[in-house]
Amino acid sequence: MRTLISVLAALSVVGATVPVRAHHAFAAEFDAKKPIKLEGTVTRVEWINPHAWLHIDVKRSDGTIEKWMIEGGTPNTLFRRGVNKNSLPVGTVIIVDGYQAKDGTLKGNGRDITFPDGRKLFIGSTGTGAPGDPQAPPK
Amino acid sequence: MMHRFARTTMIVAGVLLAGSTLAGQAPAGRGLARTPWGDPDLQGLWTNATITPFERPASLSGKEVLTEREAAEYEKEALETRNADNRGGGTDADLGRAYNQFWYDRGTKVVGTRRTSLVVDPPDGRVPPLTPDAQQRAAARAEARRRSPADGPEDRSLAERCILWPTAGPPMIPGGYNNNYQILQAPGYVVILTEMIHDARIIPLDGRPHAPSGIRQWMGDSRGRWDGHTLVVTTTNFTDKTNIRGSGPNMRLVERFTRVDADTIDYQFTVDDPASFTRSWTAAIPMTKTEGPIFEYACHEGNYGMTNLLRGARAQEK
Repeated sequence: MRTLISVLAALSVVGATVPVRAHHAFAAEFDAKKPIKLEGTVTRVEWINPHAWLHIDVKRSDGTIEKWMIEGGTPNTLFRRGVNKNSLPVGTVIIVDGYQAKDGTLKGNGRDITFPDGRKLFIGSTGTGAPGDPQAPPK
Repeated sequence: MMHRFARTTMIVAGVLLAGSTLAGQAPAGRGLARTPWGDPDLQGLWTNATITPFERPASLSGKEVLTEREAAEYEKEALETRNADNRGGGTDADLGRAYNQFWYDRGTKVVGTRRTSLVVDPPDGRVPPLTPDAQQRAAARAEARRRSPADGPEDRSLAERCILWPTAGPPMIPGGYNNNYQILQAPGYVVILTEMIHDARIIPLDGRPHAPSGIRQWMGDSRGRWDGHTLVVTTTNFTDKTNIRGSGPNMRLVERFTRVDADTIDYQFTVDDPASFTRSWTAAIPMTKTEGPIFEYACHEGNYGMTNLLRGARAQEK
């Protein structure tokens, strides 16, 4: 007879091995050896499927502007969480932490996106019952 | 394709399947809604999001059902360990998570039966071993991927090509997000609109035969009938690229939809494919009512990822 503790220990192992999965293999598109951290200004957001893309202008130290495209996930989930096309206005300054495209062009994935003060741009609203919210009230 | 929408709240199933799944007994269906023409009414928006694993993990071998306390612990553990906000495990793992947790929508609860796997037969909760023929096909696919991983779009998965998502169905299996379905009925037909990859499956109920065996379709060819209160849908004529856990083109899939209460459909499917599996197998995945709307996942409209990964492959060849 298995004890509760041993069952829970087994469950821990289970959870750790379950992969998450995006629409396509980000490892085929971006390079894990090319981490990027960019501060940029939003110039356009494409709320499109299968994945949303943020366009940002990044000012380099020499004053030149680089135009980057940053890939996210499906907009559908964000819509269900209350995000809409007005949630990220043009001109917003964000910090993108991710990986650059394998072909070396100015594209990256938005592994984490934050505001300059450290707040996360896309983060679940705990307690609202949004999908994925660990504090979602049971029905 | 943009929609206007109010924020919707996913309804979490708190309803136990009245033991019907475990006991294998068909519920009577008394008192449940019927369509104006008298068919059992399955219509509405449904989700099958759950954190219950598809197959029972080896570490839970012999443990068929969790207690309430174990289920609560499991949910807590799973939400922590699967949280894509975690950045650990090296850059490959970090990149593999793609983006943070906010973009995922895999549900927060185990299924109401608290089973440790969605596969209910064989009793060990595991998909049966592949036949030698299916193993050869899998090896040939792996070899093709190794030889030509990204020469052109055809080398990439059906999901990356926006053709078919491996869990969207049939059979319908929960995935990382977009686990939403709309069922519509008309006299003689049932339609299942699937959010992921945005397909509508039109199922005739008039007893017509399946298409000739030479006609092959990504989602197969579905025919339905009523067995008491249960909708039984048989699907055949899959393509040789449709692959459900190693299945082949001659898979015969039987899905059973039974509305057990206002908020729950007991959905079960059986895979019968002797060319691919050493025995048939069955999964039970409750579908629970959810609020709308269902969104269009027009996958082709901005599939920049395909271009980018092919360009990445070309760049790496230099």
